[in-house]
Amino acid sequence: MQTNHHKERLYKILVIGDLGVGKTSIIKRYVHHNFSPNYRATIGVDFALKVLNWDQETVRLQLWDIAGQERFGNMTRVYYREAMGAFIVFDVTRPASFEAVTKWKEDLDSKLTLTNGKHVATVLLANKCDQGRDVLTNNGIKMEQFCQENGFVGWYETSAKENINIDEAANCLVKHIIASEKDMLQSEVSDTITPQLEKDKGGTCSSCFRSQ
Amino acid sequence: MKHFDRDRCELKSHCCTSIITLSVAILFLIMSLFARRVKDNRPVEQRDPGWKLFGKVPPREGPIKDPKKVQKEYETKSGRGGPGNPTSPRQSVRKNLDFEPLSTTALILEDRPANLPAKPVEEAQKHRQQYEEMVAQAKKRELKEAQKRKKQLEDRCKLEESIGTAAQTWNQEILPNWSAMCTSRRVRDLWWQGIPPSVRGKVWSLAVGNELNITHELYHICLSRAKVKWKTTPASSAETETEDAGCSDRESSLELIKLDISRTFPQLCIFQQGGPYHDVLHSILGAYTCYRPDVGYVQGMSFIAAVLILNLDTADAFIAFANLLNKPCQMAFFRVDHSLMLTYFAAFEVFFEENLPKLFAHFKKNNLTPDIYLIDWIFTLYSKSLPLDLACRVWDVFCRDGEEFLFRTALGLLRLYQDVLTCMDFIHMAQFLTRLPDLIPAEQLFQHIATIHMTSRNRKWAQVLQALQKDHERGSPVLKH
Repeated sequence: MQTNHHKERLYKILVIGDLGVGKTSIIKRYVHHNFSPNYRATIGVDFALKVLNWDQETVRLQLWDIAGQERFGNMTRVYYREAMGAFIVFDVTRPASFEAVTKWKEDLDSKLTLTNGKHVATVLLANKCDQGRDVLTNNGIKMEQFCQENGFVGWYETSAKENINIDEAANCLVKHIIASEKDMLQSEVSDTITPQLEKDKGGTCSSCFRSQ
Repeated sequence: MKHFDRDRCELKSHCCTSIITLSVAILFLIMSLFARRVKDNRPVEQRDPGWKLFGKVPPREGPIKDPKKVQKEYETKSGRGGPGNPTSPRQSVRKNLDFEPLSTTALILEDRPANLPAKPVEEAQKHRQQYEEMVAQAKKRELKEAQKRKKQLEDRCKLEESIGTAAQTWNQEILPNWSAMCTSRRVRDLWWQGIPPSVRGKVWSLAVGNELNITHELYHICLSRAKVKWKTTPASSAETETEDAGCSDRESSLELIKLDISRTFPQLCIFQQGGPYHDVLHSILGAYTCYRPDVGYVQGMSFIAAVLILNLDTADAFIAFANLLNKPCQMAFFRVDHSLMLTYFAAFEVFFEENLPKLFAHFKKNNLTPDIYLIDWIFTLYSKSLPLDLACRVWDVFCRDGEEFLFRTALGLLRLYQDVLTCMDFIHMAQFLTRLPDLIPAEQLFQHIATIHMTSRNRKWAQVLQALQKDHERGSPVLKH
């Protein structure tokens, strides 16, 4: 996974969340730049590959689009392995899918930790924002608080249909993945590293928080 | 066009030209370009009756010149008489443009206007040569296309005829004597070739059977129970749902069904809200959650029910649906019995290695485990990943041979695409297999499936599966994921 010398990075990214919140649509928009209201339900897992130019490096994102039905949980958890980042998606028109967000996050964190013991960078996506706003996402401060409490590095109101904030959210995630990778490398390289308490390496993104 | 031809004739005899005729010639060029794009076979003058731009040219009556005549004229003119008779440079072709030859013949004959320097002989000859090549190529192409069309038509007729006779055989000979004939060699062979759509539903029903003894009445009872439930759960049950979210997702099955129905064969536009089969699909899935509350609704079911609806009446579709899901492999998957699913995957890998050792090694090297593609294929019985008509053919033989045919089909698909897959890395293979090409050659696929042997060291599928299950119960590490 660490192919820095080739100036090429490969990251596995999970896209999870309840059934029908638009995970596949978001990926289609991000990778293929189109939208169709006619996507078939995902059974198991689907894949997509996105190649980005990032500071004169090539970043390859392996997107794992995981079926949303809770019942598939046992079966799809194995796909969490070796992921470096995640999107958790909910549908702003279905509050129940937001309620499930904490479940998805807890599940993710319990199954997956980085080599330095930290959780993988996760961005929360409030999808279908073109279909009217939820009371909850209307309250930005509350949402930021929610992100901080639940260890999301950021959140975005997105619309795969109208192409809103998808690239921005992906860039935020990639930025945090690269930061956490550096962090991991540092902790591997020297044993006598000084603990960096609560230090935000991410930089400028205002809606980004570091978990722990 | 008439007037243009006339103009051209006059032009030749009087050797005079005007800007207008030149522009007409250019228009002609453009038109012939259009004509080629549209692939219109009508005579030129009929192509566009409203070609207003020609209004500038005084309309004249005159005999329509047959393009073939023009061509002939050209041939006699263009020095077929031998090299000793070089054509005048004034008869040179205009430019090497890739146009429909027949319509450009006239232009090829065109001299350069008198006020322009004439073309050199070599250039004229070169152009003529290029033109002849163009004509030859176009003729060849046309002939080829005509042959292809003829062949397609013949194939279609043949196919329709064979479907017709097959339907007759099924209806008159096989179905009336089902129990006696269904295992005969002849019927099995006919079965492999695909069941005619008109009898498909009946054959599936008979082959799947009704071990569960479900009656139409039972279906209606389950349906009315489901309807009661739909009424008691508010339409957009967002608020209430959170309260009983802990209850297990089986309770919210009804909500999930609603979300999934519109995502079932969306391209067919018949299961979507307002579509003719929306309510039927909703009813069958709802009735099933009442018939088997312990299983509930699981993603993938909507595809299976939809395929059955397309081939059977509602109540019969429900009976086939419930019996189909009751088969051991389907039960293992739809109840998400993880360890049993892993056993199935392990059995699949035994036959994978046996049949396609090279590809198997390539998959292993890339850490591509079978669950990644098999989950989708098995849960939907290929109805999501294969074109519908092809999926139905897989179902045909699945009804005949049982679960092992699902895995045999998987191996057939892998064999069909073996060459492409061996050139791919993990992500591209995973992408390819979870989204198979839109056009899959049916006959070729079935040939590949036919070459897959479902025996491993003299053990059949069921024996391999059973052995693995025993191993698993003993806690063999083989099945560790």
